[in-house]
Amino acid sequence: MNLAQFHRILRQAFLLPVVALLIMAGTLYWQLRGANETVRLIQEADFRISQTIGVGKLIADQESGLRGYEVTGDDRFLSDFRQAEGHFQAQMDSLTAATRDDATQKTNIEDLRNGYQNWHDAFALPIIATVKAGGQTSDITLNLYGKSLMDQVRQDIGGIMTHYGTQRSERIQQWQTQVRNTTEALIAIALGMGILIGMFTRNRLRAVSSAYRTSLEVLGRRAEEIYQSEQQLRRTQDSLLANEKLAVSGRLAAAIAHEIHNPLDSVSNLLYLLRTGATEEESRQFIDMAESELARVTQISRAMLGLYRESRAPVPVDLKEILEEVLLLMEHRFHELNVTARTELPEQVVIDAFPSELRQVFTNLISNAAEAAGKGGEVRGEIRIDASHFQASADKPAGAIIHIVDNGTGIPEEVRPQLFQPFFTTKGEHGTGLGLWVSQGIVSKHGGSIEIASDTSPASHGTVVTVTLAERPPIATGTVSELP
Amino acid sequence: MVQNSPLILCIDDEPVGLKVRKILLEREGYRVLTAADGPSSLPLFEQEPVDIVVLDYSMPGMHGGEVAGHMRRIKPRVPILLLSAYVGLPSEVTSLVDLYMTKGEGAPVLLRKLENLLLRQPVGAS
Repeated sequence: MNLAQFHRILRQAFLLPVVALLIMAGTLYWQLRGANETVRLIQEADFRISQTIGVGKLIADQESGLRGYEVTGDDRFLSDFRQAEGHFQAQMDSLTAATRDDATQKTNIEDLRNGYQNWHDAFALPIIATVKAGGQTSDITLNLYGKSLMDQVRQDIGGIMTHYGTQRSERIQQWQTQVRNTTEALIAIALGMGILIGMFTRNRLRAVSSAYRTSLEVLGRRAEEIYQSEQQLRRTQDSLLANEKLAVSGRLAAAIAHEIHNPLDSVSNLLYLLRTGATEEESRQFIDMAESELARVTQISRAMLGLYRESRAPVPVDLKEILEEVLLLMEHRFHELNVTARTELPEQVVIDAFPSELRQVFTNLISNAAEAAGKGGEVRGEIRIDASHFQASADKPAGAIIHIVDNGTGIPEEVRPQLFQPFFTTKGEHGTGLGLWVSQGIVSKHGGSIEIASDTSPASHGTVVTVTLAERPPIATGTVSELP
Repeated sequence: MVQNSPLILCIDDEPVGLKVRKILLEREGYRVLTAADGPSSLPLFEQEPVDIVVLDYSMPGMHGGEVAGHMRRIKPRVPILLLSAYVGLPSEVTSLVDLYMTKGEGAPVLLRKLENLLLRQPVGAS
């Protein structure tokens, strides 16, 4: 499972419950809206019923006002009649408007309106006119006729009431059905969604859990691969370091062989001359020369011994001594490259270090400087080496600083960033490309640093290599393998 | 000194070694010319009737291989004995010379090899 799939599952696990809740909310809203509409219709029926009751009351008021007037002939009874008469039309118009879609009720209301109009026009108004004219209204037939008209009106009101009552009951029934349906639908949706979410989540969690297990296995394998490749890298690095050390040793061995073979050749020739007969004067001269040549061999041999004397822990070493030994072994190389080496080593500069490693570093750096100076063009190659001690300051502890300066053509700017990279060389097949890389490793192990400043301008070309070493290095032993 | 004895040109930047070699060769009856480096040896080689060259390899300015190359162009038939303090010189250098030996093998070896080379090359051939 990749990250995109994992994110999709997370999105689904978040979205599904939200969608379910939205569906439930929508259903609930829709059902409630239906129920509310039903309730509104019930309220409407209630209102119409009370309106119909009001109409009945108005008619009753008119009838009793008419009777009062009929009996007493007093006009005050007619005021109720007239008042109810005005209200009656407005109430009937309202009822008619409300029952536009209900044909039965419309007929009922029309019947009522007609019945009332009959009673009003055919009975009530003639009675009022007769009483006003001072006539008699106690005729039974006439009053029975009025009663029959009023009975019809009452029957019509009863029909309207019954119709509204039936409607109300139906709507209550409908409302109850809706509430039951809503409850059932909500329970069903909740159950369905719950099961769906549960199954989906279970399925997705299984996928995530299986992917997690796979990831753990893959990570485990990767970790093992990384460990193996790191081990391989370490072995390669160790062998590269050993190779570079061998390359430095090889160069030094060649220099040493040269330094020893030359005086030995002279001594061997001198011995031959002595044996084959020489005058006393010649003999003395030959012996002096042989002694001086042998002293040179001894000196070289001492420097060589110092090169391979190694300790397991840092020991106090005098940088002046080390630099002088390295310079002695390289003397011939300077001669060969036509380079003059000048030193400013006024006093002992003692620090704790691994002497053979420092010799490797200085052999490397001085040999680079000499080769650079040897290619300086018309100007005679010159290198200058100085070393001095410095006291501890706020930002760094006490130590030694060594400058190796040459007047070569300088290092081109585009090459400088690569100088400390392994296998980078400007010497073609003659260089391993490891010298500066290894030197930097050794110097940082000694709590120090190598800095290179270079100038390629024709007037002031040259390179300054500055090596800083700590007086008491916090050495992690074994980071740079030692010569056996 | 016999005028028609072989003339040897010795080139070496080691002054003591050069001086001792000159004494040794003169003691053996050779005539000896010396030069301290390649560039100064070439005019001598061109002007003098040199019979054989004893050439050091490692020298400032121009190494023995380069000097031998120049000499081969000037007088190709003059034998050159390359003498070096280094062991295992590259073949492109040793192929330029007639013989190659390491310093310190001793005077008898040097003298014998010189004699052999001169026998192959009649004196005055250059």
